Amino acid sequence: MGAHLARRYVGDASVEPDPLKMPSFPPEYGFPERKERVMVATQQEMNDARLTLEQRDYCAHYLIRLLKCKRDSFPNFLACKHEQHDWDYCEHLDYVKRMKEFERERRLLQRKKRRDEKAARVARGHGDGEVGPEVAL
Amino acid sequence: MNISLSSMLLILLILTTPILISMTSLMKSINFPSYVTKSMKYSFFLSLIPLALFTYFNTEYMIISWHWMNMESMKLTVSFKLDLFSVLFLSVALYVTWSIMEFSSWYMHSDPELNRFIKYLLLFLITMIILTSANNLFQLFIGWEGVGIMSFLLISWWYGRTDANTAALQAMLYNRIGDVGLIMAMTWLCLNSNSWEMQQILSLKNPDTLPLLGILIAATGKSAQFGLHPWLPSAMEGPTPVSALLHSSTMVVAGIFLLIRFYPLTSNNNFILTLMLCLGALTTLFTAICALTQNDIKKIVAFSTSSQLGLMMVTLGINQPFLAFLHICNHAFFKAMLFMCSGSIIHSLNDEQDIRKMGNTMNLLPFTSSCLVIGSLALIGMPFLTGFYSKDAIIESMNSSYTNAWALLITLVATSMTAMYSMRIIYFVTMTKPRFPPLITINENFPNLINPIKRLALGSILAGFIIFHNLPPLNIQILTLPWYTKLSALAITILGLITALELNNFTTLLSNKKPLGFSSFSTLLGYFPTIVHRITPMKTLNMSFFTATNLLDLVWLEKSIPKFISTYTINASKIMSNQKGLIKIYFLSFLISLMIIPILTLV
Repeated sequence: MGAHLARRYVGDASVEPDPLKMPSFPPEYGFPERKERVMVATQQEMNDARLTLEQRDYCAHYLIRLLKCKRDSFPNFLACKHEQHDWDYCEHLDYVKRMKEFERERRLLQRKKRRDEKAARVARGHGDGEVGPEVAL
Repeated sequence: MNISLSSMLLILLILTTPILISMTSLMKSINFPSYVTKSMKYSFFLSLIPLALFTYFNTEYMIISWHWMNMESMKLTVSFKLDLFSVLFLSVALYVTWSIMEFSSWYMHSDPELNRFIKYLLLFLITMIILTSANNLFQLFIGWEGVGIMSFLLISWWYGRTDANTAALQAMLYNRIGDVGLIMAMTWLCLNSNSWEMQQILSLKNPDTLPLLGILIAATGKSAQFGLHPWLPSAMEGPTPVSALLHSSTMVVAGIFLLIRFYPLTSNNNFILTLMLCLGALTTLFTAICALTQNDIKKIVAFSTSSQLGLMMVTLGINQPFLAFLHICNHAFFKAMLFMCSGSIIHSLNDEQDIRKMGNTMNLLPFTSSCLVIGSLALIGMPFLTGFYSKDAIIESMNSSYTNAWALLITLVATSMTAMYSMRIIYFVTMTKPRFPPLITINENFPNLINPIKRLALGSILAGFIIFHNLPPLNIQILTLPWYTKLSALAITILGLITALELNNFTTLLSNKKPLGFSSFSTLLGYFPTIVHRITPMKTLNMSFFTATNLLDLVWLEKSIPKFISTYTINASKIMSNQKGLIKIYFLSFLISLMIIPILTLV
């Protein structure tokens, strides 16, 4: 997975995605039935819970449940293990999804590079079993 | 007015009352240290009210208590901000100061000016609270300078020692260089945003790098980052309670605290983030290297503090201000305890600070040694002690961030070195055979010594757990890591511990050989004081000497007028007296000029 960018220092950096410039391919490329992710928590709910900007992601609904549980179980700070786990697991799955996007980007870049190299070879006349006209004639 | 605000104002009142009493004749009739210790205790318990309410309601408060003046369109007020940072830090600072005040009454009991010492510590705490709870930069600056002044007065407590005076001046000068940055930032904000209120500053959209650079320079000075760091180990000339309170838990974190306050602005500026990351990484490695070869126990702990401050700067550099703040709070407990244990050992061994002349204190001072070991384990991030909750989280965030790989790597090396010098302290102080003269009465059976260390030991074990589980979830935790990344912090710490144990064992068996070149780099603190403290003053003094003698005295007072006139007249008279009296030719020479003038006019 692409959690560490060491491969940008070691090896070919042109096929390693830049996290700041992702995505560079259309999201539905290769996935015709792909739908955009939808947030479960509404804007009003997040405003009422006074979530900060960084907390308003696709797992905000679990966070709101956790905050409610913490408020209800105060001062028992050891309660709300299930809600905490739900939020943490959702964040983990979100992280895995992002890493899968990273890996997809990496493989698409590698494929693009292979295709560009093949096209360049064909243009020079060194394609697979093909001979350019300037060579044949 | 609700109870949080009332508690805050009551805490300030309780803390300022002893200062007012000290200015009256009442001070002679009461046991002032005991009175101040009790005030600290009550203030701490009172500070738990706003902390509990903040944990429950997650609501920030602002108290505007006095409107001072209007400077054209700018309003200067005394206003306090009760948010997570100020409320939690207040409780931690009061808890630590309570313990240190009680410890001071044992450590400094033979000092005739003990009351004044306690008053200075109290003044320091008040200025620190003003700094951390300030809602505008002007009040923050008052607190900033206040802690600087109290640091100067307390480091030079034993002003008969030249080293103490030099160290105090050094602290003052290095902090002043940093203050230039803060003033620059305040000036920019005054001119461009026309406000010093935190709410207005933090809602600025993409300000220039200049004010943030100023804040970073201020933090570099106050928090002893690389370049402006030598004052912190020198500040160990002060009494141990001063080192425990100011130079480990509270004052030195003021710079990092200021950067944390400004996190909404720094988080959008990649240049400042990179600068903080690289500066912090360099500081943490450099000071960890310096700590490896120190022999003074207080200096080792001072360098350790500087290294941890570098780690906090690294955390800010990877855009995790809440983790940095958590580390500030956790670090206060075990670092203050390490200093207090050092003080107990130093006093028991008749003011011996060299670890090569200690040994076997685990049998002679069992409680102090146990707490020293607990504090060291918390420092190196032993799982589930206080340091673990912040330090391990920082290293995990670092490993999974995509910023500067060099900075991350050297921070890992510095983490390993933390384990090494901690092991070195434990080995030389608590283990092996005693290396001090046998005629010493070692006794730790004093309640004023044991109780504060006990309290901080409890804090070093439990505080991290309690704070971590009570903090509202402020930013997304980094949970998804490969197993080798997750265990990297533990692995390099264990590696550091084993290496240090092996090397320290070797010191008792092998003969002394000429040390390697690297050893002198560490022993001479990276040659930094040798170069900076000698070259700059020498050049400045030479220049001022040259200016005063050559430029002012010699040129202006001698050569420009008196000697110039005399030289000129002597030369003129020499020329005049060398004449041969050819008058006719001299008159004919007038004709030459008469001929040249019409030629020139015609041309």
